Amino acid sequence: MGRNRSPSLIADRAASLAKWLFLLFFLIITLFPLIWLVISSFKTNLEFQTKPFSIPELWQFANYINAVSISGLHLLFLHTIVVSFASTALNILAASMAAFVISREPFRGHETVFNIVVAGILVPVIALMVPYFRLISGLGLYDTLFGLIITYAAVSIPVSVFLIHGFMRSIPRELEEAAVIDGCSLAQRFTRVIFPLSRLGLVTAGTFVFLFSWNEFIYALLLTSSVKARTLQLGIRFFKSQFITDYTSMYAAIVLSIIPTIFVYILFHDKIIKGMTSGAVKG
Amino acid sequence: MKYPMRTTGRALCFAAGLVLVSLFSGCDRQDAGEDEIVLKWPTIWVGKDSKAPMVEKLVAEFNEEHAGSIKVEIEPNPDYDGYRNKLNTAIASGQVPDIFVFNPDPTTFQYYEGDLLMDFSEDLKGSWGDTFVSGTIDAATKNEMVKSIPYEQAITPIWYNQALFDKAGIGSFPKTFDEFWAACDKLKAAGIVPTSQMTGGTNAWTSMLWYSHIVAGLGGPDVWKKPFSDPVFEKAAAILLHMYQDGNTTKDAVGGDAAVSGGHYLAGDTAIFINGPWYIGRVKSDAPEVYAHTKVTAAPQTPGGSSGAQIGFLLSNLAAAKTDDPTRRAAVISFMKWMTAPENIKRISMDSGSLFCVKFQVGDEAVDPLQKQFMEAAANATFITSHFQGNVTTDVAAEFGQALGKMVLGEAAPKEFVDQIIEATE
Repeated sequence: MGRNRSPSLIADRAASLAKWLFLLFFLIITLFPLIWLVISSFKTNLEFQTKPFSIPELWQFANYINAVSISGLHLLFLHTIVVSFASTALNILAASMAAFVISREPFRGHETVFNIVVAGILVPVIALMVPYFRLISGLGLYDTLFGLIITYAAVSIPVSVFLIHGFMRSIPRELEEAAVIDGCSLAQRFTRVIFPLSRLGLVTAGTFVFLFSWNEFIYALLLTSSVKARTLQLGIRFFKSQFITDYTSMYAAIVLSIIPTIFVYILFHDKIIKGMTSGAVKG
Repeated sequence: MKYPMRTTGRALCFAAGLVLVSLFSGCDRQDAGEDEIVLKWPTIWVGKDSKAPMVEKLVAEFNEEHAGSIKVEIEPNPDYDGYRNKLNTAIASGQVPDIFVFNPDPTTFQYYEGDLLMDFSEDLKGSWGDTFVSGTIDAATKNEMVKSIPYEQAITPIWYNQALFDKAGIGSFPKTFDEFWAACDKLKAAGIVPTSQMTGGTNAWTSMLWYSHIVAGLGGPDVWKKPFSDPVFEKAAAILLHMYQDGNTTKDAVGGDAAVSGGHYLAGDTAIFINGPWYIGRVKSDAPEVYAHTKVTAAPQTPGGSSGAQIGFLLSNLAAAKTDDPTRRAAVISFMKWMTAPENIKRISMDSGSLFCVKFQVGDEAVDPLQKQFMEAAANATFITSHFQGNVTTDVAAEFGQALGKMVLGEAAPKEFVDQIIEATE
């Protein structure tokens, strides 16, 4: 029997080794750009341009000082935090109410309304630049953080409604019926029953909106003009001019800017994964 | 102590209100006096741009001189492509910035056709117009209207590293392309890659300039008036292709961008390069040895073509929104005259190394030796004509790199390279 088991054991181990090698390969492919970015952020520009894959001869911590001092990164960090959290909150509030009505309140044409809202996912950002510019300027919100907040919240509504709708639709109708018997109004059914039970979907959608708001560049450039309303992504571009780019200081700014998003992902990654997979099963 | 829910709710509402007030606070425009005219100037000359410190200084001095009547506010937009996108969007929305940097090319000259830009043609007819370098106002004129003031110009001669040439036993820069290929062979024999090239970036800048030099040499000053089906363009493509073959450039030139092309020259890996005067500062600071040995010249003479041409072009103009308010118009003109005053142009040129469309006298001040070579190259040119990119729309300029990439990878012959360009223009 031992002779029979050995080949199977070897085959299992070989399969396991192949699996780990396969995973290791993709881990390297995934992490390599990040590691390269961090290492490059400690080089001089000449070193970066001439030896892009080497270890820095002398680690240039001054790049990080440049990153903070030249672009005023600390203020832009604050703006980005405010914009990202506020737009996420506003988006989740609006999208959850929309998803609640579409998924829980049967009315004629609710599927059509859902499809129209979700079709917004397919509209490229660039197609909305002129209307958003006119709208925000017309409202007197040009060059304000609030202008960015409502734009980000609005742009992300299609994807949020799509994600939250799937969760809300899967909640058993009996729970709502019991709440109605206990005297809950429409608003109370939303705030006390459906909203809390959809938290997985809300967190998933919220994480997407947060990451979008944190990384967004085009609208931030379009709708702001001064430092008082600028975000981090614009600060990173301070190291790039028409013909010359200070790559290493720019990379230092990028490294600093991605730290919070990594933290957000670490904090919520289990909910994001759960949210994505359970949403997929429930359709 | 436990607060009742209603109190907590009110406190939260109050806090939210405070946050909203602070968010809207961006709306608090300038705290200017009632009669003060505020002109917003979204500009790319900020951040790391070599002109940024002097531009900031000139604006501050202008504001000080006109305190209480005119105030110019810089809105920093360092990202060039983003800046162009933003301008396109603003102009499409009918909301032109008070003052802006206008990049003159066939796409942006379409802005002239509407009624949104200020026309300076009458103002430039007086002594102000006489301060500009000959031909620059004509280059900014369309249908007898000058809706942008010519400001920064550039020539992009051939750069070469004399120390590497000496190492390879080459005394001076080759005069003809036959001599050029022989010099390339000597450089390769000495372990030096002859030229920096690139097919990447948004416009394959270095190679596009090489192509423009060769085309100008073959076709003369009016070459860009010829259709792309003219044999000149295919011949030039064949010469450019040779620069990518036989080790005449680096292996990473295919797909490489400006960092790759410039990086090799800065590192002393390549001996020949092309760029404008704005790159002087970078060479000086990052590669002082290369800077010390850099010389600039005209491209070698093409077989059957002319010699001594340079590629030069209007790099940036200044434009403004049209206004019916005569006081506001006068304020804009006043600022434009300040920014183009010869003494101010001299300051910004000396500080940044850039070349401008306004004439000024150089006295005993120390002019950067490389900048001086640029000035001499412009003065000694048999003629100056613009580059490929300046004669096509943005999408065709972007097609150049794609077509070049295909050609150097052996997927297209020079004729097919030109055909791809022609197809893009259609």
